[in-house]
Amino acid sequence: MKKASRGRIVVNSVLILLSIFWIFPAVFAIIGMFKKKQEYNLGNFWDLPKGISLAENLKGIAGTFGMIKGMANSFLYASVSAGAAVIIAILAAYAISHLKIKRPMVWFLFIYSGTIFPFQIYLIPVYKGLTVSQLYDTQLGMILFYTAICVPFCMFVLRNYFLSISKEICESAKIDGCNSLQILGHIFVPMSTAPLAVIFLTQFNWVWNELMFGLTFTKSREIRPVMAAITLMDKANVPVILMACVVASIPTLLLFFLLNKHFEAGYAYQSK
Amino acid sequence: MKKSNFAWTNYLYLLPAVVLVAVFFVTSIGYTLRLSFYEYDGFSAMRFVGIENYRHLFQDANFKISLMNTVIWVVFSLVFTLALPLLLAVLIKNSAWVGGFKNIFYYPTALSSTIGGIIMVAILSKYGIPQLFGLLGFESWVRDWLAIPYVNTFIMILMGTWQGVGLNTILFITGLSTIPSSPIEAAKIEGARTTQLYTKVIFPLLQPTTVVVLLMSLVNSFKVFDSIWVMTKGGPYRTSETLALTMYQESFIHGKFGVGAAVAVVLTIMILIVSYFNIRNTFGDTDRTA
Repeated sequence: MKKASRGRIVVNSVLILLSIFWIFPAVFAIIGMFKKKQEYNLGNFWDLPKGISLAENLKGIAGTFGMIKGMANSFLYASVSAGAAVIIAILAAYAISHLKIKRPMVWFLFIYSGTIFPFQIYLIPVYKGLTVSQLYDTQLGMILFYTAICVPFCMFVLRNYFLSISKEICESAKIDGCNSLQILGHIFVPMSTAPLAVIFLTQFNWVWNELMFGLTFTKSREIRPVMAAITLMDKANVPVILMACVVASIPTLLLFFLLNKHFEAGYAYQSK
Repeated sequence: MKKSNFAWTNYLYLLPAVVLVAVFFVTSIGYTLRLSFYEYDGFSAMRFVGIENYRHLFQDANFKISLMNTVIWVVFSLVFTLALPLLLAVLIKNSAWVGGFKNIFYYPTALSSTIGGIIMVAILSKYGIPQLFGLLGFESWVRDWLAIPYVNTFIMILMGTWQGVGLNTILFITGLSTIPSSPIEAAKIEGARTTQLYTKVIFPLLQPTTVVVLLMSLVNSFKVFDSIWVMTKGGPYRTSETLALTMYQESFIHGKFGVGAAVAVVLTIMILIVSYFNIRNTFGDTDRTA
């Protein structure tokens, strides 16, 4: 008994020690964002801010770097693309798992292949394709691309989920006179609201957090998504950058707490 | 007649997904593969050069460094993102505050790696941690740590560990919870010590989870782009580039799209080798019949 409790103390102490390292960057960013530029550059990072320079730094974000426009853009890209991708994936996953089509596994692998290759192999051709079709540096181009890149993973998750829905339900609905679209709308979608919500939110999060494509497929401030906008901010004013980081993480953190209840369900859909 | 018509409409459900994947991805793979045999600056006409781009790469010092860095990233992140999460999962499961610790180690994973990278740049600059070492008497340490060639790769891998352990820890915790309790009870009755219990009973039973985590981490560590781009842009003097960055540099910074395409192909081949095992593991038994 004594030995067991000593073990618990060791376990908890090690975890608390490691937790300090894990929390430190967040604390660093939050303390830093309240400082003035000179105060940050001349003082020590562990000094608490002398007075709160919140308004000034917020003004810095709203200023010349397109952060606010970037956040609006990213919100548009993330919500529309994630929504469209989920709908397109529902249709495909339903066809592959429950409709009569030839070689469902081949169709599945064709769409799933979108998750296997490294993104670098898409970079040049998509850049070129967008340029040729005059969609480079446009909101429509970004939405189309982000939709496309979210579809394969959504389809993968939904197909797995749909396969667990029994064929008998569909058969009886068919006998009652439902066509395949009605079966999808009245049976499959209502039965899978939880996974649908989770994949929508995680794909939203993915698009919001994405940098490489945003950097490559845009050039103007009006189109640039938030992460690309942050990397182009003035490196000299660290408190403003730190505040931009915190502000741009708000949707992500909200989502994190939203999904927290569905943690076990949510984690599996995080990676791409 | 009606029946065949009905089956035909079934393919309409597939259409949007298939078109998007075909247009954006499948044709892209073919295009990049073809481009890797051409010289192309983005404006002038493409000129066929055969395997010249690949020959150039394997004689290029920058590419060799990049390849080496990629291997370092993959090997070290594997150790950190496999061993540490396993340890964390075991500790957290036996701790007094399971939910809290889960959140603490998971929140960096939820953040964008761009954001994580930018915060790290601030922490590792002269005004951050190095300043602390200066006060402790290590004057020579007061510099931008991310600007030290070769050392910075290892620092970035540690940073990747900070952002990367969350997901794997959760996966391991879930894996540990699904292990049947009877073999563990039996081992306890037979007087197994705690370490034996883990090495002889629990870890072997955890193997399916471990394989998933291993393969997933392996593929992901090949793909790291955002955080390196934000922290060092592959510098100084291209010493911290990995293949993912070299591809971007050659194509979009130096305008050598053919060489960039060749790098993408090399990276793809490396990832496909791992993905083969990944896919076999994912679909191995369950879907052969489907």
